[in-house]
Formats: sequence, C-alpha cells, structure tokens
Amino acid sequence: MAVALYRIDDRLIHGQVVISWGQFLGVRLVILVDDGVMEAQWEQDLYRTAMPPGMDVIFAGTEDACSKLPAWEADPRRAVVLTGDVPTMAELARHNPTLVKEVNLGGIHHRPGRTKRLPYLYLTEDELSQLQSLQKSGVRVVAQDVPSAGRKDLKALA
Amino acid sequence: MKAPLWRAFLRLFSVQGAWNYERMLGIGMGYAALPLLQKMRQQDPAGYREAVARQAEFFNAQPYLAGLALGATTRAEYQGVPGEKILRLRTALCGPLGALGDQLFWTGILPALVSTALVMVAFGLAGAGLLGFLVVFNGIRVAVEWWGLRVGWASGLEVSQVLHKSWLPKAVALAGPAAGFAMGVALPVIGGWLVADLDRVVMAGALGVAGIAVVMARVNPRVTGLRFTLVVATIILLSAWVGA
Repeated sequence: MAVALYRIDDRLIHGQVVISWGQFLGVRLVILVDDGVMEAQWEQDLYRTAMPPGMDVIFAGTEDACSKLPAWEADPRRAVVLTGDVPTMAELARHNPTLVKEVNLGGIHHRPGRTKRLPYLYLTEDELSQLQSLQKSGVRVVAQDVPSAGRKDLKALA
Repeated sequence: MKAPLWRAFLRLFSVQGAWNYERMLGIGMGYAALPLLQKMRQQDPAGYREAVARQAEFFNAQPYLAGLALGATTRAEYQGVPGEKILRLRTALCGPLGALGDQLFWTGILPALVSTALVMVAFGLAGAGLLGFLVVFNGIRVAVEWWGLRVGWASGLEVSQVLHKSWLPKAVALAGPAAGFAMGVALPVIGGWLVADLDRVVMAGALGVAGIAVVMARVNPRVTGLRFTLVVATIILLSAWVGA
C-alpha cells in the first residue's frame, strides 16, 4: 500500500500537503492528477519549485492516472494522490474500486454556486451528490484538512 | 511607476486584515492591487472594474510571499492577458507560494531564530536575544516581501520561470536543515538552563511529562504536545488547589 492518502484540494500542492501531511505520513511522492496542470508546462514548473527536498512529484492527466494507479500503489515510496476537484477523484475511484478505499476532502473553496459545509469546504449540490454516490459505492469520504484536525464524515456535511 | 509599487507594498502589510474562510487573503489582495491598477482605471475603466474584482477573489498563500502573486497578476492585467488566464495564474501561484513560504518561514527561519534567541537567553543575553530576534525576523520578512512584489511586478506571466531560477527554492532547501541544527543546539542548552535550579523529583516529573507528550503526539496527531502539556498543567494546578 504505497498511496497513503487520496486527497481533494483545489490548492493542489501547498503547505498543508507537503508539510503537515507530508511529515505526518512520511510522504516521499506526490501524484498530482489534473488535466489543466498536465497541459501547462509553466504550472508544472511552479509546483515542482514548491517541493521540499526528498519529495518527488508526478503529474498526470485523469485518463492516464486511472490506468497507472495500480503501478503507483505498488511503488515502495509513500505517496499522496492529489486532485483539484471532485469529478477527477470520482473518476479515479470508479476505475480502481479496490484501490481507493478512502477519500480525504482537504479543501474546496468558495465559488459561486457552492455552499459552505465546513470553513474549508464549499460544495455545489452536484459535487455533494457525486461524493454521496462515491460513499454508496463503498469508498469512505472524510473531511479533514490537517492531521491534527477532527475527521468529519460526509453524512455530517449534507 | 515607483510610487504605486511603494503604495501597494505598504498595503500588503494589511493583506490579512480582511481574512475570512470564504476568500482568505482575497480582499487584502484586492486592496493592495488598487494602486497598481490606477493607470488602467483611466485607460480602460471597464477592464479596471473586472481586474479589481479578479484581484479580490479567493487567494491563499503564505502572506509574506503574497506580493509576488500580486505583482505578477497585476502586471499581467496590463499585458492584455485574458482574464481567465490571469485567474489560472493566480490559482496556480497559491499552492507553491504557500508551500515555499511555509517551509522558508514557519519551519525554517522562525524556529532557527527562536532557537538562537533562546540560546542567547540561556547565556544571560536575554535582552539582546529577544530584540535581535524581532529585528532580524522582521527585517528578513520585509525584505522578502519587497523582493517578491518587485520581482512579480517585473515578470508578469514569466513569474514561474523567474521564481524557479531565483534564490528562493535554494534558500528553502537550506532553511529546514538550518532550523534543525539550531533547535538541536538550543534544546539541551535551554533544557539545562531551565532545570538548573530544580530538585531531582521535579526535574524527573518535567522530563516524564515532556517524554509522554512527544510519544503521544506521534501516536495520535490530535494530541499535540501543547494540548497534552496544558492538560497536565491544569491537573497539577487543580490538585494543588484541592490539596491546599
């Protein structure tokens, strides 16, 4: 089990991921699944600049990630799989139902149409129902921004 | 353009002034962007209104590095970059500036300087240690803020390459080990200074509490060393009060 955390966070790679979770889980690899970042070389340069020493980053598009996930799970390095939105993570889980057992909601921020569920979590009705069907298919969906914070089950957010 | 840059820099000191969960630094960024967008206000009033609205949207980064994003995105507004792309740049800067800034300041410079100040306190230089800490930390912080705003404003959309080649990632790589070294020196020195006047029983008790706090923080992340120590301190105070 190399992937220690499947996280949805629209800030992608930032301090909470590389420092808080990185140190707590002993993360050596961050896998960033985002079609927009995959297309823009300058964005990849930016995220690579932010990686602390001893931590590698892999960029992947959604489709590519769905097929490579088993290989990443077999990688000996402890990894975080990071997506910027709900649909991308739902897609990953749908294609790899045996691998994605728990999804961490780390930060989805305000945008028109989203309502506040937690201080760091704003969801549209559509995003919520996608997460609910994920939960129904057997994936545990838990909101927790940093390791020292409380874990909140999806049921408490509806 | 020197004066607007200077005014934006002063406004950056209050970048957290309207902090809220919905937009985080967003309002502060919009406020600081106004002096830089003044020229646009005369040239293109409609574009100006859109630009200000964009600059006040959700933004989150380490606050001392926010100026880098402010400079780069306001410069991009003048470069005729489509609004959607400016928002994309703004969003893409959040994470990296947060990660770099957290590593440089919160887990690098701050613990390194606090440790140095504590060592000075232990050697009887309390005044110089505390004053030196405040001056050096804020000096570095203000210099980095000014550098970030200037570099961002000079590079616009090119900011990611400029950032990649700058001193910042190298400094971040050094800051962690430097902090580790300083804390490694400071812990035994300050520990020795603290327990110098205590008797053996109290010393053993303090060491026991500290040891258990470290172990528990490793086992359960919700029990941080601080929370545990506060609980133990409360129990000791309560039992002393009941006993008296």
